[in-house]
Parts: sequence; C-alpha cells; structure tokens
Amino acid sequence: MLRRRTLIAAAGATALATPAFAQNFPRKAVQMIVAFPAGGNTDIGARILASIAEKDLGQPITVVNKGGAGGQIGFTEGARARPDGYTVTFINLPSVSTIVLDPERKAAFKMDSFVPVVNQVLDPGVVWVKADSPYKTFGDLLDAARKAPGKISACTTGILSDDHLAILMIDDAAKVDFRIVHFEGSAQQLTGVMGGHVDCAFDNVGGIVKRVKSGELRALVVTDDVRSKFLPDVPTTKELGFPSVISSSTRGIAVPKGTPADAIKVLETAFLKAINNPEHIKKMDEQGLALKPMVGAEYAKYYADSHAAATKYTEWALKQR
Amino acid sequence: MESLGYLMAGLGAALSFNNLLFAFAGCVLGTLIGVLPGLGPAAGTAILIPLTFNLDATGAIIMLCAIYYGAMYGGTITSVLINVPGEAASVVTCIDGYQMAKQGRAGSALAIAAIGSFVGGIVATILLVVVAAPLASLALKFGPAEFFALMVAGLCLVVGLAGRNILAALLMTALGLLLSLIGMDPVRGAPRFTFGVEELYDGIGFVPVVMGLFGVGELLLAAEARQTHLIQADLKKWYPTRDEWRRSSGAIGRGTVIGFVLGLIPGVGAIVPTFMAYVLEKRVSKNPERFGKGAIEGVASAETANNAYANGSMVPLLALGVPSSPTIAVLMGAFIVNGLTPGPFLFQEKPELVWTVIASFFVGNVLLLILNLPLVGLWARLLKIPFAYLCTGVLIFCIIGAYGLKQSLFDVWVMLGFGVLGYVLRKLDFPIAPAILALILGPMMEKSLRTTLEISGGSFAIFLDRPLALALLAVPLIVLAAIVVRPRAFANLRQTDIE
Repeated sequence: MLRRRTLIAAAGATALATPAFAQNFPRKAVQMIVAFPAGGNTDIGARILASIAEKDLGQPITVVNKGGAGGQIGFTEGARARPDGYTVTFINLPSVSTIVLDPERKAAFKMDSFVPVVNQVLDPGVVWVKADSPYKTFGDLLDAARKAPGKISACTTGILSDDHLAILMIDDAAKVDFRIVHFEGSAQQLTGVMGGHVDCAFDNVGGIVKRVKSGELRALVVTDDVRSKFLPDVPTTKELGFPSVISSSTRGIAVPKGTPADAIKVLETAFLKAINNPEHIKKMDEQGLALKPMVGAEYAKYYADSHAAATKYTEWALKQR
Repeated sequence: MESLGYLMAGLGAALSFNNLLFAFAGCVLGTLIGVLPGLGPAAGTAILIPLTFNLDATGAIIMLCAIYYGAMYGGTITSVLINVPGEAASVVTCIDGYQMAKQGRAGSALAIAAIGSFVGGIVATILLVVVAAPLASLALKFGPAEFFALMVAGLCLVVGLAGRNILAALLMTALGLLLSLIGMDPVRGAPRFTFGVEELYDGIGFVPVVMGLFGVGELLLAAEARQTHLIQADLKKWYPTRDEWRRSSGAIGRGTVIGFVLGLIPGVGAIVPTFMAYVLEKRVSKNPERFGKGAIEGVASAETANNAYANGSMVPLLALGVPSSPTIAVLMGAFIVNGLTPGPFLFQEKPELVWTVIASFFVGNVLLLILNLPLVGLWARLLKIPFAYLCTGVLIFCIIGAYGLKQSLFDVWVMLGFGVLGYVLRKLDFPIAPAILALILGPMMEKSLRTTLEISGGSFAIFLDRPLALALLAVPLIVLAAIVVRPRAFANLRQTDIE
C-alpha cells in the first residue's frame, strides 16, 4: 500500500510540470549500467540506490555491471544507449573525463554525450595494505618505495582512474616510483593485495570501512584535506605533508544526450527522493560511502568543474607515461 | 563443532514453510532460466531480484541462490534434447548429451545429469561447511600468473581432446581467440577490430555464437538429411541402464572434486570446470573413442562439475566477500541491498542467516532432484514432435534468445551467420568446442597475462618464480608439443578415433 501511495505522490508531483509524459514514464524496467564489476564501491552504492529508487520510480531497476578498461566499456555503452530514459549510467568522475581526454583511448563518447542527473557519492581516496603487511604507516610504505624504486607495486581500479592519478600525484610529491598494476575495480584489488600479489592498493574509502574495522586490512592514509568520518583514526595526505595530493571519486547518475526532459525530471525526482531516504542514508553509512546529493545546475557545474580539473591532471599524467 | 550446531539450527530454519517455498520457487524459476537460451543465470537472477524486495532477507537470498543452481541444471535439458546450450556451463553437455539423445538415451542422460548435479551440489556444500575458511585464504594465493597458466592449461587440454585432428582443433582455437579480441581493449580501452561497426564495441556475444554453432548448425544438418523426426529411437526405456550407472559413478566423483576446487578460485567461471572434468574423464577412460559419440561419462562429469562449481563458488563469496562469477556478483548485490555485506565478518554478525542460507543449499539440491527426475520422461517425449514443427520451434526459440539478450537484431544475424559456419564446420568435421572455449577464455587470458606482466614489471620470468604457474603451464604444453612433434607415438589413439 505504502508503495502505491508514494508512487502516486511522486507521479503527482511531476505531473504538474509535465502532464503527458510523466504519466507514461517509466512503463517498463530501467537499466542501470555500472562501469565496474560487482562488489566494488561504485557497485555497492549503485545497488543500494537502485533498490530504494525503484520503489519511488514504480518500475524495477536492473543493475548491469559492465566492467573493464577503467570504466570505458560501461561508459561507452551507457553513452550510446537509446536516449529514452530507460538506460541510466553510473558515471564516475574523474574517470569519465580522463577517458575522454586521453587520445589513445579513442573514446566513442564525449563529455556532452551524458546529461548528469543526480549525484550520489563523493568518496575520498585511501591507500591500504593487508593486515599483516610490514608497512604500518604511510611513511613506512614511502620509505620502502624510496629504497626500491619501481619495485613496490600499487594497484588501481583501472587506468586513469582517480586511484591511478593519486599514485602519480604521490610519485610526484614524495619523489617515489610505484610499480602500477591496473585491476578491474576494487573487488579485484582485494584478492590481489590480500593474496600478496600486490603490495598496496589505491582505492576509495567506501567499501573498505568494514574490512578495516574487522582487522582484515589497514588503511594508511586518506587522500583528502579532512579526515573521513568513517576512518577517524587514519591521517590525511594534508596532515602528512602532501597537501597537493587530494583525490576522490564522485559518482552519480547520468543519461545519454537526447533523453526527453520529462523523463530526466522523473528520474531526478525519484533518485533524489531515494538518496534522501533514511534507509538509503543508513545503508550507505554502514558501507562508509559519503553522500553528496547534487542535481540540476549544481551538478552540471560540478560536472564541468571536475572536467576542467581533470584536464590539468590528465595532461600531466600523460606526460609521465 | 560449533558450526555443526549452527548448521542444524540453519537446517531447521531452512525447512520452515516459507523458506521451503522460496527454495522451491527458486528451483522452478532457475530451471526455466536454464532452459531458455540467451537467458543465463546471471541475467536471469538480475531480472528476478526485484521479485525478492518484498521478502525478508533470508527468504530473498535463499530464493536467489536456488535460482542460480536451478539454472545450472536447467541448461542441461536443451543441451541434450536439441543441442542448444541453455547457458554457458552446458556447452560441454551438448557434446555427448545430444549424441545420446540421437540414440534414444535422452532420458538416461537427463537422469544422470540430475543425479550428478545433486551429488556435486551436496558434496560441495558439505565441503563449504567443513573447509570454507582455510581453503578460501589458500585460493587467494592463486594470483594473476597462476590464473593465466590455468587458462592456458584449459585451452591445451581441449585442443588435446580433439586427438584425431589436432590441426583442426588448433585452427578452431585460433578462431575463437581471434573473435575474443573484437571489442574494447580490456586494459587500455581503445576499440579493436570493430571496423567502425558500433555493435562490435561490446565484442562478439558469446550466446549468439554458441546458439549458432551448436543449435542452428545442427538444424541445418538435420534439414539436409530430410529427417521426419529429429531423433529416431525408442524412448520407452528412459531410465539409465546398469552399465550406464556403473560408468557414471566415477565421473560424478571426479566432476565433484574439479568443480568444487575451481569454484574456490575467483573468476574462473562455470564453463572451465565442465571442460576440465570432461577432458579428465576422457583421459582416464579405458575406451576414450566413445567420447563425442554418446558417452554417458561425458554428460555426468560436466553436469556434476558445473553444480559442484556453483556451490563451491559460494566459498569465496561467504568467506572473503569476493564474487567469483557474474552470477555470484548479482547474488552479492542481493546480499548488499538486504543490508548484509558478504565477507568473514558476516559469520559473526549474522550467523543464523548465513547458516540458514547454507542449509538451504542442501534443501534446494534435494528439491531440484525431486523436481527434475519425474520430468525426465516428459522432456524426452518432446523429441516425438515431428521434425518440421520441432525444427521451426527450435529456430524461433534461438532467434528470440539471441534477440532478447540485448534487444539487438545484430545478435540475431551473428547467430544465423555462425549457424551457417557451424554447418560448414560439421561438414568438414572440424571440432566446435575449442572455438567456444577460446572465445570465453580469450579475454580472461589476456587480462590475467597483462596484469601478471604489470606486476612483474614486464618480465616473463615471473612464471619461473611461481611453481604452481610453471607446472600448470608446462605440463599441457609438453603434452601438446609431443602430440604435434611425434604423432607416431600417439598413433594408437588416432587409430581408435578414426574407427
């Protein structure tokens, strides 16, 4: 009953602005493309949101994982999907920008191929090792990296992801040289580092909080200027003397260019409502995923600003190559 | 012993009316998903997740798990009856299962598959209870280098399987690998071999290729022979003979071990254990020439392995929180939206739930057996339908399956194109299985090799430092080289194959 009532309420709210379309959308399941494999922090956030938003949307949301090439495979599919509102894509910033900016990637989409709809998360970067690693602090790790240039391996969640950029920033700021290994998403980082195949992981706070608390992993540093509320004992890069190393991943929902404005409005209303739902807030909190809801002009501006910042870093990163 | 207590409590909960109903519904839905080609367990489970939102967490997860292993069994049915694998893990079942059906032994193949699946599922679940935690951390030692070596070993074994015509098998492997390169570079992202065709950005779909090569190819061949019935044989005695029982028992045992062990390694996928179990069975068999011509051991080994794999792959999920296959990833999503993060801490946080779900695996496997054995005779009777109707039905079935995957007409053309290719290859007597396996393993091999080389800083010496990887690489390569270089030594094998 509750479900039907909220549906009517949601439909009613949008019906004022867009009478004809709102009543017709959505009439079937909505597909949500996640450009990283299941079990990673993007995926976890997306699945929590999908499960709550579909009640507001009145139609099921099917999460489809299309991992690979640092998100490029999923973003490409999302950007080229039929612009009818039935395919939404979880976009990760700055990954979308860096893919577009790297000429070698021959990306089949541009920044304006996506219309950003609602942002969900701003997830700061974190460096972690497994619990029995000899590196107790970030300083230990850097010392080791200094002693053996190019030998200490650090894994990313994909090429030119925020994690990759964070490694390059640390390389530059601390005058070290990590051996970079590109994995497909954070679930692979977990097996890679816990199995002892790679020395450390550059990842994001969300998704590892539980494992840090259970003692499976040790977080060494958060790449931010303030401490994460989920990891209050872990120092920031700013505290450790690397104020230039600030990196995070912002994740939200976008639709392909050309999607009718009415459909966008319906999606925006439903997703924003779900993000502010106490159940969503609680579940995201448990996972250590920090919310940053943004819609409309605010999100569009963030999308553009983030691209401008990424342009600087990508050009710099490409020079390192 | 503490876990035994939990398990007993879990069994009690799993046998409650509601949970029993969820397991039953899951088994039925799973079997249907398995039967429908194109709708594999991953897609099927994803579509059905919303069904479970109004259920409690335990019920939802029990049902989704049941869908998963139900689909593993369901895929067998179409493989045996019409040579169309319902999902990837049933490709191997086609090889001997369809031949058995042609000889009127469809019922027997299906019954043995059901029993093998049951044994595989139950034993794997017992192992999950007893050795999950220590084995899971051992499996982590299996890094990208070992993974790559395992994939190479798998490919070599399948090529070796061809016995009679090594060159043809190698050619087909190369074809599969070549096809697997189409699409986007898995590390760097640039499109490869797409020739500007947008549909190729995603790569060549596995499902349309398999349905084309196996299903449509077979139909064309049958149409040419002007058969009135697809299978002309007496179907009355559908149950397995004493001899078939005897030959299957060893295969079921070996299939269970292979399926479970490979289930522990994240990323292997359900199809690899079926191939490996099949190859092993052919190797240990006293008369390997029967394989490919309706050997029940072939069906038993593959079907047991895929179910043991399905239950074994729950180990990395529950013990480490690592999803080992796309379907498991979907299941993990279901855990997460229900407020449960799979991983070692889950056993401490929600022991009653974890153990109820584990206990439900036992219940589900029993249900699946009860559900499927009585239906075997009925399924086998489908083959009595006159050829013209059955053939049309199968073709429509395949087209819908190919289209339904992504609502893409392109995939239908791919399937029909590969159907013609499948027909030609059969005429030329080229083995099809190596191409399929190469198509699946290609991207995994590429990714794991590239990761391995990133870890080693570009040096291939990493394979020498890792004994397991080295052994996995060396043995099959030596065997393969020996067959190619000294064919005479293998003349006996070749002789029997030709007869």
